[in-house]
Amino acid sequence: MLKKLIKYEWKDTRRLLLPINLAIIALTLVGCAMLSTSIFDSKEALIFSIPLLLLYVLSIMAFSSVTIIYIYVRFYKNLYTAEGYLMHTLPVTPMQLFHSKLIVGCCWFGLNSLLTTLSVMALGFAAGFHQASINMNFDTVNLNLDPSISFADIFGYPLPTFLLWMLALLVLGAFSSILMGYVSVLLGQQMERNKLAASIAFYFGIYMVIQVITSVAMMVLEFIALNDTANESFTATMSDTFRMVLPLMGIIYFAVGIVFYIICRLLMNRKVNLD
Amino acid sequence: MTLLECKNLTKLYGKHTAISDINLQIDSGHIIGLLGPNGSGKTTLIKLITGLLSPTSGTVYVKEEPIGPASKSMISYLPDHTYLNKSARVQDIIDFFADFYEDFDSLRAFDMMAKLQINPRQKLKTLSKGTHEKVQLILVMSRHASLYILDEPLAGVDPAARDYILDTILSNYDENASILISTHLISDIENILDEVIFIQDGTLHTHALVDELREQDHKSIDTIFREVFKC
Repeated sequence: MLKKLIKYEWKDTRRLLLPINLAIIALTLVGCAMLSTSIFDSKEALIFSIPLLLLYVLSIMAFSSVTIIYIYVRFYKNLYTAEGYLMHTLPVTPMQLFHSKLIVGCCWFGLNSLLTTLSVMALGFAAGFHQASINMNFDTVNLNLDPSISFADIFGYPLPTFLLWMLALLVLGAFSSILMGYVSVLLGQQMERNKLAASIAFYFGIYMVIQVITSVAMMVLEFIALNDTANESFTATMSDTFRMVLPLMGIIYFAVGIVFYIICRLLMNRKVNLD
Repeated sequence: MTLLECKNLTKLYGKHTAISDINLQIDSGHIIGLLGPNGSGKTTLIKLITGLLSPTSGTVYVKEEPIGPASKSMISYLPDHTYLNKSARVQDIIDFFADFYEDFDSLRAFDMMAKLQINPRQKLKTLSKGTHEKVQLILVMSRHASLYILDEPLAGVDPAARDYILDTILSNYDENASILISTHLISDIENILDEVIFIQDGTLHTHALVDELREQDHKSIDTIFREVFKC
């Protein structure tokens, strides 16, 4: 039954989310194509390039926001409004309903985050490549770095390990972000009245608590890193920071996700009370 | 075997008692009218049986199964409002029901849709409210379920549509199954009922065979209802 639920969840959500992700790809291709030409090379082109850059940033932000909001709204609408009368009378367990939405939600949000990251990298690369090709001297984009300094010396890990860390953070980030919305909806459902308003209030409350905890943890780590590397070079400081921040973010995302998952499990298994 | 059993069923909303200590037993092969004035607790009782509400106390069993996937696979439920995703096509909804309910008869559903000249490619949002409700009824009655629960299927429809709905119900339900039908329009369904359940202020007022009740009071069920629930 879980497979069937996932199939229908995928089918229903792709109507909006597939075009959004295709739009990110299209925007990236157009951006790369434009950056590969000379249309932004003159100073006069700033009049166009700055609004276009702004439009790109706003579009990417809007696509990400719409994706996550749609996933939350879909969870609420499909399970706790009129459509819930169909979903909660299917011969499935509450956790099967929940898992189908969690898996599909994580896939879409993960895909959206991946495409957004790749889009920004692709545009950056296209702009850099174009600049280098104008100067016809690829050494000039070497930022005057010492050739003996490797990727790991700056980013703390060799490139493949760094990319694996990024992928892991992307998956864990999607997992905890989706669960944060679901847990807020489920907590809102425990209220006697104004369930939707309560869900939104829970979301912002939880978001603020997570932000404070993450910020404090980051500040403490930065402080430790700066103290330990006071006499070190800039690259060594960077490297140490990445080596501390990446695992810490992974632990925070994972721990938060697990806590949310346990709360969701408890709330989903309490029998539903549809108005 | 008892088809449906409610034991000491109670549902409280804060301090308000919606359902109070209801004990009920329904056997297979009957059409039962669930009757009561507005706010008497009919829909709450139905939602407790279908698992859409959790009881404050008491239990519900369907063929000795507690409320869960097994009981839900035996119940075909029609809510008192539209509940399908309006952006879906009729065909998609039929596929959905066929995928999740082993007892769903797709051919029967397509046949009934064709009789109403509903194109399966049509989206639900393009249908009128009345046609949308008929699609829901067709889906529910296309199942070979053990218990059909129909919440106010006749409310707000014209007499011609009422005839269609009653005809669809009677010509499609399995004779070994039971139908629990909640309604205010007693005169329309009185002749098809085997049993009636009167609910008053969340409590079970009467549960009796229609023929016995008529013989005992020498009145129609409609008249008895009006007397019991006189304002």
